[in-house]
Amino acid sequence: MFKREWTRHFVTAAATAVIASAASLALAAGAGDTIKTRQEGLKDLGAQMKVINDTLKTSAPDAAKIKAAAAKVQAHSNEISTWFPAGSGPDAGVETAAKAEIWKDPADFKVKTDAFVAEAAKLNGFATAGDIEGVRNQVRAVGKSCGGCHERYRVKKEG
Amino acid sequence: MAVRKPGWVRVWDAPTRLTHWLLVILFAVSWWTAENRDAEIFGRYAMEWHRWSGYAMLGLLIFRVLWGLFGTSTSRFSHFVRGPREIWEHVRHLGDRAATGVYGHNALGAISVVIMLLLLVAQVVMGLYSGDIDGIESGPLASKIEFDTTRVFAKYHALGFEVLQWIVLLHVLAVVYYLVFKRDNLIGAMFTGRKRARSETVERSDEAQLAPLWRFVVAVAIAWAATWWIVKP
Repeated sequence: MFKREWTRHFVTAAATAVIASAASLALAAGAGDTIKTRQEGLKDLGAQMKVINDTLKTSAPDAAKIKAAAAKVQAHSNEISTWFPAGSGPDAGVETAAKAEIWKDPADFKVKTDAFVAEAAKLNGFATAGDIEGVRNQVRAVGKSCGGCHERYRVKKEG
Repeated sequence: MAVRKPGWVRVWDAPTRLTHWLLVILFAVSWWTAENRDAEIFGRYAMEWHRWSGYAMLGLLIFRVLWGLFGTSTSRFSHFVRGPREIWEHVRHLGDRAATGVYGHNALGAISVVIMLLLLVAQVVMGLYSGDIDGIESGPLASKIEFDTTRVFAKYHALGFEVLQWIVLLHVLAVVYYLVFKRDNLIGAMFTGRKRARSETVERSDEAQLAPLWRFVVAVAIAWAATWWIVKP
């Protein structure tokens, strides 16, 4: 009897452990996917901004390149609202530069990301119109709005 | 050849001293502007000043290398770069309280000169190709390479600075050690260009044999032109 009881407890405990770890693994995998998507998106934002800034530096900026890149910047800006679900912060068990503050002060985070969305839309407007000087000025505003979030919500990294 | 008995020996010419202290100032400027990249100074972004500081450093480094080949005697690499035996000989006497008797760079100091120059060159070159994570700020040659590659350069640019900090610290500690322990004022000599003579007579090779002005003009012109060619948009 005692022995059976013990076996039962053991099986229950083992099953619980298996389920719990599987669930947490699944959760981490889910958060991992979210974080990966977010990181790839943000990285492409950087790459597209580079495309725009690079061609702006030349004597004859390429309006077509700017147009394509600005469209991608705006598209990414609209994805941001899906990039930071609860549980995808530093506790997710996956390396991320997103700080816990994002979820502590979601109202401010939304103000800052909305500001970027607005500036990115303006950038795309100038790019679609082929207004190179407009793009040149707007790129600075977009850069500032990137910094709006990054200053407070991103782990500072060297380089 | 012993020539005369001066009270002071001219060790460093003005271009070498000026290059040294300008590199020090630019090192500080580069450091500060990188740490405070969101700051605005005189209406320009810190990273813009960071770039200009790097360009100036690039020009100075090119000049210093040229000066090390064709410049004033004591500034030439051939004057101070020594083989392992002389370096070891110098190391053996590091603990002596007596000054080294060397007027220019000593055998050990020469290593740090060469390493610092090499690291600074590497640092500036990596800076030319570095780009930030947001695709906003970048070196003048970063537009030639992919975004990911500019990030790799930026990481090594950051690492390079950490290494440089340690080397500079070591350099400062060394000259303070020479001043305090060996009573050998290397720091003052880098300001005034002169060191007090320690013997009755001084070898001609201990004194800076000034390079003619035209060489200075040519070296500056080459450094200026090369820098312009490298960083031009």
